[in-house]
Amino acid sequence: MAEFPSVDWFHAVRSVFNEHDEYHGAGGGACDTRFGVVVEDDVYALTMAGLRCVDAVSISADELPQLDFYLLMSHGDWRVMLENIRDNGRAALDQTLNTIDLDREEGLAHSAAEDQYKQDLFFRYNQTLQHFFDASSRVETSFSDSD
Amino acid sequence: MTVKIKPRPEGRTRRMGESEDVEIPEPQYAWMGKSHQWGTRVKAGDKGLTLGSLNVGHYAEVPEFWEDQTRMPRGSVAGSAVVPPIGYSVRHKSGLWADCAGDLYEEAIQRRWVPTTDLDWSSVEPLDDAVERAMCQLCTELIQCANVEMESIASWQEELSYGFHEVKQFLATVTFDDARHMDAFRKRALANGGGLGVESKGILNRMILESRGGWTETVAVMFLQRGLLTQTIYKHGVGFAHNAAEREMFSRSMQDKARHLTYAVEHLKYAVNHNEGQGPILNQVLTIGEGMLIAELKDPALRESLMILLAGSLEAAPSAGKAAFEGLMGDYLRQYAALTDWIGVSRDDGLPPDLARYLEA
Amino acid sequence: MSEAVSAVSNESADNVEPMDLSWLEKMGEWGVRAEPSRDGISLADIQVGTYGEVPDHSDNMTGRPRGSGRRSDGFRIGGYEVRDKSEIWLENAAVLYEEALQRQWSSATDVPWETIRPLPDDVEQAQCQLATFLTEVEFVAGDIPARWIAKTSPDFFEPRMILLAQVMDESRHMDVFRKRAFANGGGLMQRTGGTSGIVGSIDMSRDFTEMSSRLHIAGEGAVLSIFRMGELMAYNDAEKHIYRLCAQDEARHVAFGVMHMRYMSETAPERREEIHVYLDESERGLLAGQNNPAARQTATSESLAILLGGGKDHFDEGYRKLLAIRRRQVKEYMQRVRSAGFGERFEDGRADPELVKYAQA
Repeated sequence: MAEFPSVDWFHAVRSVFNEHDEYHGAGGGACDTRFGVVVEDDVYALTMAGLRCVDAVSISADELPQLDFYLLMSHGDWRVMLENIRDNGRAALDQTLNTIDLDREEGLAHSAAEDQYKQDLFFRYNQTLQHFFDASSRVETSFSDSD
Repeated sequence: MTVKIKPRPEGRTRRMGESEDVEIPEPQYAWMGKSHQWGTRVKAGDKGLTLGSLNVGHYAEVPEFWEDQTRMPRGSVAGSAVVPPIGYSVRHKSGLWADCAGDLYEEAIQRRWVPTTDLDWSSVEPLDDAVERAMCQLCTELIQCANVEMESIASWQEELSYGFHEVKQFLATVTFDDARHMDAFRKRALANGGGLGVESKGILNRMILESRGGWTETVAVMFLQRGLLTQTIYKHGVGFAHNAAEREMFSRSMQDKARHLTYAVEHLKYAVNHNEGQGPILNQVLTIGEGMLIAELKDPALRESLMILLAGSLEAAPSAGKAAFEGLMGDYLRQYAALTDWIGVSRDDGLPPDLARYLEA
Repeated sequence: MSEAVSAVSNESADNVEPMDLSWLEKMGEWGVRAEPSRDGISLADIQVGTYGEVPDHSDNMTGRPRGSGRRSDGFRIGGYEVRDKSEIWLENAAVLYEEALQRQWSSATDVPWETIRPLPDDVEQAQCQLATFLTEVEFVAGDIPARWIAKTSPDFFEPRMILLAQVMDESRHMDVFRKRAFANGGGLMQRTGGTSGIVGSIDMSRDFTEMSSRLHIAGEGAVLSIFRMGELMAYNDAEKHIYRLCAQDEARHVAFGVMHMRYMSETAPERREEIHVYLDESERGLLAGQNNPAARQTATSESLAILLGGGKDHFDEGYRKLLAIRRRQVKEYMQRVRSAGFGERFEDGRADPELVKYAQA
């Protein structure tokens, strides 16, 4: 069981993502990006290279401009999404990354460097990113009691 | 630099649009209820939901002449909007149609491949210098063939009416195939201590690019005459391939080319059967093309590089390689004769001696 | 090898016809070896030696592959208009092409069509009207890039290959929306005529950068937003997949436009004012809604509002969402223009103040 958010949790998810071919085809495929996941004060950087997620580390907020883009939500909103994925095997209609990004006034994906070209990687690789988070359905996840 | 993460909004997450304080115009809904055939329900079959399966009822009607000069989807309601014409020149079905186009489009997508990752580049190992040069020369010729095909089709796309979208979509897969071939052959030429060869003589290239008479005429020279030769070379390439990468490269390219040829043959037959006078025109076009092919083959670059590759060495090229090359040409021309026969433009009486001799090889 | 060449190119006692082999002396740079990188040999990996040198101006009028040996007697069949690198180049061309190859998908088999269930009639009509519109407009971005591929020197094959991938993507989009219209008891509805106006001006472009700024930056950016909206308002997994995968493709096309414009801004400063004029025009279109039918009261905007709201009864809510998303689209457009190196127009008063005000509201 891995607690979200934590480096261990991201390692567990990336292990599932890397090992299952179903997460790599059908509009997914190779991509190269380093993006962030921000959960309240915790910041993580994930590196996609080719068909694999090769790294997941904890970083400081100051390093965000070095990333292509980052995904920001409250712990509670991340939990809602991940529990939805767990319950359904993948994100249901109202919990996909793009839906969340568009349906919230403040959005989900941002670029600390305010570079839209890099932020557009969220759109270019959206299927892969969706597959990545959908892979969390196979990871036993606990959440802190902050919500 | 200290980066402040955008602060979490106070209270619950606002849904998009909640803050919009605008006057909402009264909707007209003038478009509602406007359809030539409502209640259409096409289900996915064994091959999924295919383009061809959409041609049901009203939507199956492919007219002999496409009146509309805009991008109106076939089967949609024109409505009252006045749209300036775009100016498509190919508006007769007989100018481009093949019943198989929709199926070929789907097949192309299913059989897609990626030169970077689907070819085992680690299998390419040093070859005898003459053989490597021959392979690189062949790759250069094949790159240029693909380039001309791609340029020709790309320039024709905007001439082909929207009413025959299956053909336009299939041709989009063809140019993507051509990009793949250019990609794969260029990589092979540069992967093994070689380089590119000398450019093609270009005699047939010019005829293909200058086929302004019509798309049908372009198809005849580009796909049937030259494309069939390219496919024959790919077929023999699988045989003389030196490693897994080359074998796969030629094999996949051959599959792609087979689709192009299928479209060509079906279209040309359709054109001959539906256009009085098309048969004699094609006969003439093919005759001119044959003359150009003969001129092209007089140039030694393609011919001799194939001789070396088919023989396996420079030393054996003049004898065994020559015989194998003549065998390759014989293969090509026998199939060419059979296909032109089927289309209705037989070459029995008209094949020039410089080509006919290969049929005896 | 010279001994072997000599042996086969001279008359022999066995009456074997000697080979010419003069092409061996005319080949391109020799001894080049591209090394495979992580995934295989990519387009970036073959930028080796002279083969990686992209000329600032191309004198290639024979269509030869870049770096191949030249013939002094080659036919000048090219007729290429785009012969300056700055007119078409972008720094990450090879990366975008490989990405396009990797991320292809099949509308027939990668969309879970079986998840579509009957919808209320107003919602199904809205979905089909939107699908009709998208089927209509998508191949503008197929026909027009194709025209420019044929006009561009093969020395710039990397951007040409990305454009070929775009033509393939647009063909797939045209296909998938036609399929959606027929998959659930609906059908095609009314042609919108949305391919006149600014979209029509894409047809009229006489320069590649002019075309790209209208198509990739303005037009595709707007369609990207519609596709993202499509995923937001999807009623089933099939629609989610359709719109998400189309949005991926579209984002790649937008990336082409941004990176090409960035390259122009860095290498052709004398054209900055001209490009600002293209952006002036695009922004007038954005405000007037010509690029983005979602901004006006049109069949498309009404159907989007119905879908976003969840039915005619919730039109107002849907319309508010539509406007909010459109505001974000305008912000993203401005950010892309900044990323492309033309952001000063939003600070120095060049851009329409209404646009800036609208984005900041």
